Formats: sequence, C-alpha cells, structure tokens
Amino acid sequence: MNSVTASIKIGADGIDTEKIVEEIKATVAKKRAAGLYDEARIARAEKHNLVTLKDDETFIQQYFLCLRQISQVDINDFEIFERRGGIFGYFLTKIKKSIWSLLKFYTYRMWSQQNQINSLLLAAIETVNERNQQEIDALKARIKELETKDN
Amino acid sequence: MKLAFVCPRLHEPGTVGGAETLLYSLARDAVLLGHEVEFLTTCARNHYSWENELQEGSFIRDGMTIRRFHVNRNRDTDAFFRIQEMISRGEKVQESAEEKWLRQGVNSDTLIDYLKNSDFERVVAGPYLFGLVEAACMAMPEKTLLVPCLHDEHFARVGKIKKMFESVRGFLFNTEPEMALAHKLYDLRPQSSAVVAMGIEPFDVDPASFARKSGIATDYVLYSGRREPLKGTPLLVDYIDCFRERTGRYLDLVMTGSGDVDIPPSMRGNFHDLGFVTEEEKREVMAGAVAFCHPSVNESLSIVLLESWLAGTPALVHAKSEVLKWQCSSSNGGLWFSNYPEFEAMMLFLLDRPDAVSTMAKQGRAYTVEKYAPEAVRARFAAALMEI
Repeated sequence: MNSVTASIKIGADGIDTEKIVEEIKATVAKKRAAGLYDEARIARAEKHNLVTLKDDETFIQQYFLCLRQISQVDINDFEIFERRGGIFGYFLTKIKKSIWSLLKFYTYRMWSQQNQINSLLLAAIETVNERNQQEIDALKARIKELETKDN
Repeated sequence: MKLAFVCPRLHEPGTVGGAETLLYSLARDAVLLGHEVEFLTTCARNHYSWENELQEGSFIRDGMTIRRFHVNRNRDTDAFFRIQEMISRGEKVQESAEEKWLRQGVNSDTLIDYLKNSDFERVVAGPYLFGLVEAACMAMPEKTLLVPCLHDEHFARVGKIKKMFESVRGFLFNTEPEMALAHKLYDLRPQSSAVVAMGIEPFDVDPASFARKSGIATDYVLYSGRREPLKGTPLLVDYIDCFRERTGRYLDLVMTGSGDVDIPPSMRGNFHDLGFVTEEEKREVMAGAVAFCHPSVNESLSIVLLESWLAGTPALVHAKSEVLKWQCSSSNGGLWFSNYPEFEAMMLFLLDRPDAVSTMAKQGRAYTVEKYAPEAVRARFAAALMEI
C-alpha cells in the first residue's frame, strides 16, 4: 500500500471525497517538490491535458512543468539486451553495445550542446513570463487603485 | 397543458446522444404528468450530415404524438463549417456570420411553421447549440422553456445565442453548476430557472458477471460514450499507459460506445473495445470496474456517472469539468484529478483501498436514488412547469 492510501481514514459515517482529494493533492505536491514526477514520460502523457487546460489559469505553470520534464535529451546509458539467446544473441548484444559506444562518442557533443540550448531557452522563457506577470500584476493593482479613487 | 418538445433528433434505443435521451425522457414525464404532448423532430439520424434518412410524418409512441419534419435542403454546409470553425477557435464573428451559421446548420422551416400555427401552451426545446432550437425558441420565446445542456465553450458566447437565452421564458437545467454558468454568461431573471435533470430507474447488477462472461479478470477502468478528443478519451489512454509503465500495476482500459481510439503498442492486449453494448451489458461492465473514468471537461450532466454509481462503481473525473466535479463532490461518490500525478495517486488509492471504493460507490448510489429517481425528477419538472 502506498503512502497516499495508507493515511486516509474512512469514518463510520462514510467518506468526504473533498477531503480525500485535498489529502492526495497535498501528498502529490510534496512528491513533486521531491522530484518524483520529474520525467519525460509524464510530460508526454500530459500533452492532451495541456490542450484541456489552455484557458485555465494554471496552464502556464503546467506547461513549464512539462517543458522542464522533457527539455533534456536523455544521454544516459541504457540496458542493451537481445531477446534471441545463445551464442548468436551474445554476439548481437556485443555488436549493439559497440554501435552504441560509437554513437555516443560521436554525438555526445551535439546532445550536450542541445541540452545547454534547451536549458537556456527554458530559463529565458520562464524569466520573460515572470517579468510579464509581475508587470501585469502591477498594472492590475494600479487600475484597481485608480478605479477606487474614481468611485 | 398542451406541450411541444423540439429536438433535432429523436431518441432511439441505443442512441448515444445524451441530450436527445434527456429531451425524450422529459417528454415521457410530461405524458405521465397528464399533459398533451407532441414531440417535433427531423428526419435526420446523423448529427454531422443531417441527411433526411427517415420518413416524414407522424406516429404515436409512449403516449405522445411524434412528428418528423424534413431538414431544409440546399444548406450551405461549407459556410456552416467555416463559421463553426472560426467560432470554435474563439474568433469574433459578425452578426451576419452568426445568422448564417445558425441558418445553415440543422433547420426545418416546415417544423417551425407547424409550431407557429399550433396552439401549444409551452414549448420545451434543446439542446442550445442547433439552428433549429434557436429558431424554435425565437418563434415563440414567451412560451419556450429551453433545456440548454450548456457547456463553457466559445459557442455559448455567440451574440445570437446570448439573445436566445435572454429572450425565452425560462430554463430547465441539468445541474446547479450549469445554471450558475448560464447566469454568469447571460442576463437572466433568477425565477426563470429550475434544475430538473433526468430520471434513472435504480437497478441491481452482479459485479462478477462481466469477468465471468468476458474472461477479463484483471482490474480495469471503464469509459462509456463517444470516443473523441472533446470527450477526453486520448488523455485517458495516455494516462493509463503511463500509469502502467510507471507503477508496474496491472490495469486494463475498457471502453464502450462509438468512435476511433488510437491505442499505443504498449497498451495492446490491455485495451478492450466493446463497441455498442446493450443496457444490461453496459451495467455489467460498469459493475466490474475499479472506477468509471470520465475525462471530459464539457458536460452538463453525466448520466453514465449516475449509472456507474447505481452499478456500484465509484467515479474518477477531470477537475476542469465543473459539472462532473460537482456530481462527485455532492454525492461523495468519486474523485477528481487535474493532472497526471494526481490521476496516478487517485488510481492507486482506488486500487489499494477496496473499503473506500465500496463506501464511495454506496454513497454515489444513495445520492442517485435520492436525487435522480424518476419520481423525484418528475416532481421537479411538474413544479417547473407550474412556476416558470
């Protein structure tokens, strides 16, 4: 049983789903802060949800979250295996591993540069958005102040 | 009272359109309440082409006279789809374009002429989005009760639609959030609205029967209805695929209804498309599911959610749908997610806590029996007809 499900109590008079949703959201927020959802797989699963949320006020935060999860090209090693066994499978695995080493050697510079570019672009977009948001908030506050004065 | 119901298509058994089912159900309730009822509809079956496929004429069914009229011929469908596309993108269109969009959509001049030349005391029309419904509302607005099935979408902000809402006598809404949305978007009199919805006969079903008949013994999530991006089905497929990969848990996805679904190779063998099923089969599939998942954000009332509670299954819905979220929170029969991590955590909760699943399902069932029993809905409808 995972930590979310274990902590939730069910009373004799039933369940308050509002409370369960709040508890689950709080647990998810903690896990998110700990980086447990930082993976490209989740960003890919969210592609249709971003369309759903496009008019929502949380859209930009969700969008940046997905962008952060997916912006880095995965250049780590991965397990290379061959479903065919025996001596043929053994040699095929060796060949695949050699090809991967060569590819990694020749393309590492390109990948790492691409990751640097992606990081810089993301940081720039986030900064621009933050500045714009601050400006919008300040203008909204000013309009409200002027409207209060007029009334 | 002599009542006319106007709906572009007639509900037939097995029809997936919820609005048609709702209008027909209200018409049947009106008959049971002792009113004289005529149901005015078109000869169309297909809600994309609006081809006149059925015979024009009238017949008696369920104690009411059903009259079918031809859809206007020579519609400029290119212009209709062009303007519709612009509106759906949120573009502002001119009044003349709005008029063209309404007139070139589904319409029937013969039906409207019949309506104008009859002596109906009330006209009940819906859903809001069709040219025919707008024409019926504007033909005798002082007598019309609109059943809007309203969603928060760009079409709801079209000038002519706003005018229609602000002209009619009153409204029969499906839920409180739908009513609140209408009052937010339009300038409506508070006493013009009532929440009526649709009655559902309670039923009992064996939760083990689907597994027995289908051989699907793994836990599964169910979706029933039209499969299309607007209903959120691609999101559900992606989420279940990601859930299986990340958690390593066995969880299948079962769908009933119509429409294409794009299934990734990693999900093949764990996705079961049952297509159209009978009511009894649908109830059995619902009863065996861990949860009924409704990922749509555009609903005015989810009948399938109520049915799944009657079948003893809790719901999992998208929080962006005010209505579905409201149904789950007011019944305490389901949970709502905003993103994948929340979906994953809620799904794990549902899989690992059968005690919670059972309690939520019981609460959902009790709520449905109390609020949506046919007698309760009929009483609300009778009161609305008297008071509005």
